[in-house]
Amino acid sequence: MILVLEAAVLGVLTGGVYALMASGLTLIFGVMRIINVGHGALVVLGAYLSFVLWRNLNIDPFVSLVVTMPVMFVLGVILQVVFIRPLKADREALSVLVTYALALGIEGLLGFFFTSNYVQITAWYDTASFPIGNFRITYVYIYGFLLCLAILGAIFLMLYRTTFGGAIRATMLNRTAAQLVGIDVDRVSAVAFGIGMATAAAGGVVFGITNTFNPGSHYDLISRLLTIIVLGGLGSLRGAIIAALIMLVIEDITAVLISPVWADFVFFVVLVVVLLVRPQGLFGLRVRERL
Amino acid sequence: MAALLELEGLVAGYGGGDILLGIDLTVEEGSLTCIVGPNGAGKSTLLRVVSGLLKPTRGSVRFRRESIAALSPRAILNRGIVQVPQERSLFPTMTVWENVRLGAYTVRDRGLVERRLAAVGETFPIVKERRNELAASLSGGQQKIVEFARALMLDPTLLILDEPSMGLDPKTRTTVFNTIRSMNDAGHTLLLVEQNARSGLGIATHGVVMESGRVRLQGPGPEVLSNPEIGRLYLGAA
Repeated sequence: MILVLEAAVLGVLTGGVYALMASGLTLIFGVMRIINVGHGALVVLGAYLSFVLWRNLNIDPFVSLVVTMPVMFVLGVILQVVFIRPLKADREALSVLVTYALALGIEGLLGFFFTSNYVQITAWYDTASFPIGNFRITYVYIYGFLLCLAILGAIFLMLYRTTFGGAIRATMLNRTAAQLVGIDVDRVSAVAFGIGMATAAAGGVVFGITNTFNPGSHYDLISRLLTIIVLGGLGSLRGAIIAALIMLVIEDITAVLISPVWADFVFFVVLVVVLLVRPQGLFGLRVRERL
Repeated sequence: MAALLELEGLVAGYGGGDILLGIDLTVEEGSLTCIVGPNGAGKSTLLRVVSGLLKPTRGSVRFRRESIAALSPRAILNRGIVQVPQERSLFPTMTVWENVRLGAYTVRDRGLVERRLAAVGETFPIVKERRNELAASLSGGQQKIVEFARALMLDPTLLILDEPSMGLDPKTRTTVFNTIRSMNDAGHTLLLVEQNARSGLGIATHGVVMESGRVRLQGPGPEVLSNPEIGRLYLGAA
């Protein structure tokens, strides 16, 4: 029982990190109607940026976000303008090809600079832990979870308390109507892509501390992230967060109760079951609730 | 009355070919111009060109004598041309108040936005009464009224309404047309596209009949409405 409880707590904490990564992906889908299959590669890129700052300049991985998040935001704006904006017709299908090419390009560049050897970011808090009842929690999971809460809170504040946030929500809900009230949807799209990449940087640093990774680590990551946003309802931030927590808790409990081998499998079984019962996902289009 | 919007030899379409095949049309300041015609006549395409959502392949679009054919939707909006599209265009999971406020998204003067919000709330009581409710919770007619309110937040020089009565029951349709007439009485210039020819031409100062991408007839609204030939061909039992 204690093991299950421990797995559930760990699932929630890890789920927070996945929620952050998935929120960027679903925000990009919501605003632009594109499926960014390169998002996993962007998370890995974020992890490598923090890795470089930690290894070469001895900068704490969490502190490195002060640099990597703005850098990734600007890079996201540039990528959107260069690769996504030119897609006018059949955006959803073409975006899969373009962003897959982007992922391969990033993987190739990272492979060139870092080889395919696995690396990991280390810090004192990735092994240090503190007791909660009869089990111990590693500090990095708490710090990662708090980071995700702070960033997701900031994103929600921006979306619901600022005029530009209102423009992002409006674009997600009805792109044509947003244009007709004067919202510059191209600008909104570029900023949304930048925000998505900044969240990838933040998710990447926690991913890089809690996992060994190499340039090809994005394949497993993107399959999980896509599962989460489909389960939550495409374009729904709230859905992505809840789905991430549910999936990671189920995965961790399965690993404890049955076997770690089955944990990944259960992840996708849950997806199939939910889609059979509720094809639009938890917070999908039927109720028109995307945020 | 002075010409506000002038279309000359307008040709436009999508990938599959031209839909508008040489439109000549003038909308005068203070008028309520209503365009009617069967499905596929090109009415909505014409409005998309005026709003900047579709670029013409030939011809000119002039607004207050300035060519606007190449301008972006936002630039056209900034010149005072606001369109309420045919399909429901409120943002469903935003409140009525948020929706109306977004109508003034391009206005930077916060005081002006607040004054217009207050004025729109007076003109359309439903905006104030249902301000905190989600737009999706309103009926079709109520949503249309809120769309009008949102459009007026920019104090438009030309307000374009694309088939505002579509999908509404007869009673709600009457309310919507009364509201359109009131906006015109208040001094707004309106360009209305309407399937329901009798209701549209009945309140119009100027009527236009389109067919297959061309203007077939135009004149004062009641005259167009009473033209027996046009009535038989295009208006049917509407």
